[in-house]
Amino acid sequence: MPELMDPSMPAGLNLVWMILLLPLAGFLFQAAFGRIIERAFGPALGRRILGFMAVIPIAVAFVIGCILVTHIANQPSDARVAISTWFDWINLQSIHIPFELRVDPLSLTMVLIITGIGALIHLYATGYMAADKDYPRFFTYLNLFIAFMLMLVLGNNLALVFIGWEGVGLCSYLLIGFWYEDIENAKAANKAFIVNRIGDWGMALGMFLIAVVFASSQNLLGGETRYLSFDVILPLAQQVVGEWGGAVVWAIPLLLFIGAVGKSAQFPLYLWLPDAMAGPTPVSALIHAATMVTAGVYLVTRCHVFFEMSAFAMGTVAVIGCFTAIFAATIAWGQYDIKKVLAYSTVSQLGFMFLACGVGAFSTGMFHVTTHAFFKALLFLGAGAVIYAMAHNQDLRNYGGLRKYMKITYFSMLMGWLAICGIPIWAGFWSKDDILGKVFASNDYWHAQGWAINPVVLWAIGLVTAVLTAAYMTRMFWLTFFSGEERWRNLPDPQHTHRPHHVHAHTAHHDEDPDEHGFFLETVEEEGHHDHHDLGPTHEPREVKPSMWFPLVVLAALSTVGGLILSGGYPVTEVFGVHTTNLFKEWNAVSAQPSVLPSKELFQVSHSTEAVLILLSIAAGLAGILWNRARYKKGVPKNEDTKLRRFAGSQWGYDNAMYQAFVNAGGKLSEASYKLFDKGIIDTLLVNGVPWLVASTGKLFRKTQSGYARSYAMAILIGALAIASYIFYSVSR
Amino acid sequence: MEGIPLMGFLALGAVMFLIGAVGVTMKRNPIVIFMCIELMLNAANLTFLAFARYHETPLLGMISRENTVMNGQMAVVFVMAVAAAEVAIGLGIIMAIFRTKDSIDIDEMNILRG
Repeated sequence: MPELMDPSMPAGLNLVWMILLLPLAGFLFQAAFGRIIERAFGPALGRRILGFMAVIPIAVAFVIGCILVTHIANQPSDARVAISTWFDWINLQSIHIPFELRVDPLSLTMVLIITGIGALIHLYATGYMAADKDYPRFFTYLNLFIAFMLMLVLGNNLALVFIGWEGVGLCSYLLIGFWYEDIENAKAANKAFIVNRIGDWGMALGMFLIAVVFASSQNLLGGETRYLSFDVILPLAQQVVGEWGGAVVWAIPLLLFIGAVGKSAQFPLYLWLPDAMAGPTPVSALIHAATMVTAGVYLVTRCHVFFEMSAFAMGTVAVIGCFTAIFAATIAWGQYDIKKVLAYSTVSQLGFMFLACGVGAFSTGMFHVTTHAFFKALLFLGAGAVIYAMAHNQDLRNYGGLRKYMKITYFSMLMGWLAICGIPIWAGFWSKDDILGKVFASNDYWHAQGWAINPVVLWAIGLVTAVLTAAYMTRMFWLTFFSGEERWRNLPDPQHTHRPHHVHAHTAHHDEDPDEHGFFLETVEEEGHHDHHDLGPTHEPREVKPSMWFPLVVLAALSTVGGLILSGGYPVTEVFGVHTTNLFKEWNAVSAQPSVLPSKELFQVSHSTEAVLILLSIAAGLAGILWNRARYKKGVPKNEDTKLRRFAGSQWGYDNAMYQAFVNAGGKLSEASYKLFDKGIIDTLLVNGVPWLVASTGKLFRKTQSGYARSYAMAILIGALAIASYIFYSVSR
Repeated sequence: MEGIPLMGFLALGAVMFLIGAVGVTMKRNPIVIFMCIELMLNAANLTFLAFARYHETPLLGMISRENTVMNGQMAVVFVMAVAAAEVAIGLGIIMAIFRTKDSIDIDEMNILRG
């Protein structure tokens, strides 16, 4: 592709365009030929071809991403930024927005997560969705999502980021409502889309404000009008925004943060994410756990200079993140739906990421994005495998003892569970412990900056959240794989009863000859035995097919050792005085290192304190595990369904309150305005009022038209007399 | 006639006009209405004649009664011609109405009311 070559870039880096274009090509292929191929080759073979064509572009993009990483890693740490421009997108006298991609450690980190985990999840989906009637449509959306997500992270200006931002929102909407025939799914999709609009509003305003501030600055080099490009605004941000001073200093980061809050499902806009679980499970894993919802963290990290300038904005980010973390953790504790537990867990973990960003540890926040992508994608895919094996029943109370039937899934999820609980050597420990340590260490600095809530309080809340995280994950894990009894055997026989209400996603599985085989890794011939009846006493769960367990195994490996490799054992090694390279931090230094905040004074903690902190965070994980292992060892306890738990499960009434406050009250407001303006002013006053006025005026004057010649004569007479009198009067005067 | 002042003729004309006007507006019979209209026209004629007699305009400067401009008197002739034509047409209309409606009551001719 010679026209993509940018002479200013090292030749190899122009491959970055391939990363963007491959999923786009995949999307076009699926959209144009999906149905045709399915029809031409039959569902079984056609779907294998389509599945292959869906996975390959993402996998190749991942390989290209790895190549770029090696290119970039050879450069010195501060020279790891390259920009490739293809064409001018918008070129006005006052603003110039080229179509340009940015290759730097931060964007490549996200690219590797998106394409790597994306490829695995695509592979998984070829198995999970094999029997769905809309197989090509699913992969059309999924490939399009990857393309937009890559645009979001690779775009070198806020406008391109915004295209990706809106595009992933669109794909999220399409995929949440993938089974749109169920009205609940369509409603969930609408909710996600509408709530995200609030965030997008903030993001767009922040973008405009940045453009305005930079356009009126004298600091830009001659003729530079790329007011939204990161390579222009980020180095000059401190100078330009500092000149403006005043409200702009905190308005820009807070507006951008509103965007992040919407996309990354933070309080108060998190409510769309739990509902987004209506989508197919691979979608939940890819979009609503590993990639799209981390876009907010990416945005904050990318624009961290703007945030750093305002202690108020940083404090807001940290407090919102911290509150969301514990709030969502308590809600997860009250859920019975396996996917809902994971959804709230995602919201909670995203809160941790923002907490890290809020105290200035952007690199650590991104590190948690990475490890979280490993283990949460794993947990979601594992949950998907369980759901698949349990005839699409998602209720934890109907599981139990699955360890016996699904050994690979069990073992993979065990790794994911240990990772999210924060048990050492598993990935989650390194990032979560690092976050808590950084929050604690930044106490002195932020206290001096006049934060209303000291970071040490946030740290304490974070620690409690870590206990809760371990607790609810243990609850989910134990109820699924252990706790003795196989509770679905106690269910009424589905042959004689109605289908349980919550088995809604299942409707998609019946109309065509199901391709129950795995895709190209498939070795086992399987009968589609469990997909075609509901959960009941005779149900025998089975291990899922290879195309589904293979991604689980890879992610399990990443969840186990990924964190340790990337962090190089930091901060544990520091306590012991061993010096290892914190690969992730070193790699991301150029994009995620605080550039305004004094990084030396920011995190100050002695080795002994560090050791105590590490021990405390391990203890938190263990405490949560032991507490809920004891509780759920023998199945669902009798006192499980308490009022408190039900209240927690209903989001402490928040969702309902928001529904009352905005949906219902909004409806009432609309109705009132409909009655006042539409009915009252437009209909009554204008539409009916004007003719009424004309008609009644006519009625009034119609009386004069009696048809009696004499009355006309009288009128003429009176008129003549009046005129005559007037003339006489004026003459005589 | 010499002893009667102008105001007398004008007063008589005004009274005749009023009687005619009241008759036009009050009466229901078109024949009577016509008569009233004639009365009004004649009131106007009388006024014309009275003014013509009392305010003579000399013809080309000659001060002689025989040589005055006969403007007022001429107007009266025209009025009478028009009135005659009007009565002819009016009576024709009344005949036509009588043929279609079997009545000439003016109040029944109100199909143009609003």
